[in-house]
Amino acid sequence: MKLLTHNLLSSHVPGLRPGGGFPLRIEAAEVRERPVPFNAAFVSRLVPRLRWDALREAAESLGRPSELPPEPTPGYEADEEFLRRLHHVLLEVEVLEGSLQCPDSGRRFPISRGVPNLLLTEDEA
Amino acid sequence: MSAASGRFFCTAGRGLEPFLAREVRARLGATEVDCVSGKVFFRAAAGLGELRQLRSGERLFLLLKKHGPLPVSGSRGKMLNEIKSLVIEDSKYWLDIISVWRKFHGHKGKTDNSSQENTSALKRKSEEETNTASKRQKTEQVRAIVSEECQVGAGETCESSDRMNRQECWIESRTSSEFPSRGSGEDPAANEELSFRVSCRCSGAIARILTSQEVGRAIGMALVKQCGWHADLRDPDVEIFVHLNDIYSVVGIPLFRLPLANREYIRTAGLRSTVAWAMASLAEIRAGALVLDPMCGLGMILLEAAKEWPEAYYWGADISDSQLEGADGNIRAAGFMDKIELLKASVKALPLPSESFDSVISDIPFGKKFKTTSDAQFLPDILQEMERVLRVGGTLVLLLSQELHKHVDGLTRCAGADPADGDSGAVPARAMDGLTRCAEGASADGDSGADPSVDGNLSSLAQGGGEPIICRHFGSLLPEDVYAISLGKTDAFIHKYRKVSAAVSSRTGTGSCPNTGTLPGTGSSGLKELES
Repeated sequence: MKLLTHNLLSSHVPGLRPGGGFPLRIEAAEVRERPVPFNAAFVSRLVPRLRWDALREAAESLGRPSELPPEPTPGYEADEEFLRRLHHVLLEVEVLEGSLQCPDSGRRFPISRGVPNLLLTEDEA
Repeated sequence: MSAASGRFFCTAGRGLEPFLAREVRARLGATEVDCVSGKVFFRAAAGLGELRQLRSGERLFLLLKKHGPLPVSGSRGKMLNEIKSLVIEDSKYWLDIISVWRKFHGHKGKTDNSSQENTSALKRKSEEETNTASKRQKTEQVRAIVSEECQVGAGETCESSDRMNRQECWIESRTSSEFPSRGSGEDPAANEELSFRVSCRCSGAIARILTSQEVGRAIGMALVKQCGWHADLRDPDVEIFVHLNDIYSVVGIPLFRLPLANREYIRTAGLRSTVAWAMASLAEIRAGALVLDPMCGLGMILLEAAKEWPEAYYWGADISDSQLEGADGNIRAAGFMDKIELLKASVKALPLPSESFDSVISDIPFGKKFKTTSDAQFLPDILQEMERVLRVGGTLVLLLSQELHKHVDGLTRCAGADPADGDSGAVPARAMDGLTRCAEGASADGDSGADPSVDGNLSSLAQGGGEPIICRHFGSLLPEDVYAISLGKTDAFIHKYRKVSAAVSSRTGTGSCPNTGTLPGTGSSGLKELES
């Protein structure tokens, strides 16, 4: 699970208050870093789609302070160093084993072989 | 080195012809594009590498002859002579053809080795959880290997005498000894010591008088006499393909041994790659797009999309471990680990924020995956989630069985739609227009009548169609296109929707129908605007 994916995942346990399922807290047992070819234009396009605080939090929680600013600064499209740091955090860091915890309900969702399992049981759903 | 212009034709699964026609224009700059049921003819200046990249076609051929239909007379002998005349030309003709064909193939024509590996790519994982959708697809896959040209319109009968029975198309080689291989009056230079095989398909009026085997034999003999080639059924250098029906007489040489639909980048096949690509091509995937397949199975749609539109990012979700494993294997084999990510999640409760994706593309399983009597029961829940995660302006592309197609038609039109209202009939009519314009001359083409749901559905709207059809959440899904396609044994429908505005979606069921507004321009999916 890359942090780009994590940035999109939210818990859908029933009965949460609005927004209560995001962001999921990462408890990582195995993390891997793997180089991915850098595409500045592509990363740049992702910026407006990201939940920035959650991304920074996630990177921190993996012990990889992301050196990302509190917010994308204006003109980020041309800031290659910024884009490269962002690229690294979003695409080159993967959680292979661990779990994701719903902030409101505490429910844990396992990550196994890089694939997060967000299925609810029949009782929960 | 620019390629010389050549004439080609490519077979296509029924219903995919418009996609193929558009693709040859866009990818190859093709001209003289002529679309008939099951085939697209075109001219292009393209090399083998470029031609190999066609994604919505089945088999690609060098076009040798394309004439009107053979006149049918009572005299078999006369007809056979007419048929032979299709291949009897002066010696230079065949020399030229072979040299053109050689240019594509290099030495001996057995260079397409990368495709040979694909036979293993077709091995299927059989697992407990294989749903009937996979089984259906497996059947299609096998059928397609056997005779992908056998996807005929309603008006044609299929003589399955191509790949399976090709021994019969050309009688044992002792027949060829009736004709000296170096006949008099024949240019010895034409004797290339080439081996060949004739694959022949006859249908329509001709098939009532002559069998494919007889025709194939006659042509084969004529070629032996003409060119001094020898027949080899098992592993010929050259294959001559002849197709005779009520609409045309076509002679061609296939350029590749295996169908284009066999992708070297896909390890375990599921949904047919041509259909998956066609669906992705409707989604308008732009650079930076976020694309989701919430019932991804083995990931076919995501793989085709990631291959063609690599500047986007893709997510696949499925509830089945074995499917996800298969998808993971496919993603790794294709080298797309940095483009496609997987989740174990249910489409009925997607763990994703609202309005976060640009496109949602999915093949909705046809079988009894949800352990209930009818999948249609779950359709509203599935659609609801797909619609929720889609951003306004985003596209939804679905592959539906005939049954689901009828229900969806009901769900995404408002309950108040008046059967006389031009709009509620507008979408299928446009799609059918595209099909009938494309499938020129295929008057008995089952497709034009294949959408009984236009009428059937409107009445089911009135009666409730077995399920209360309410304008619930789906007022914001504007139907844009419907394509009837064949998946071999079954028919299916590709539906394209656009999410227009969350505000319009009507929980109150007031029946305010976004369809009455102007439909968005369909310029982006110019598939229906075929110039012949």
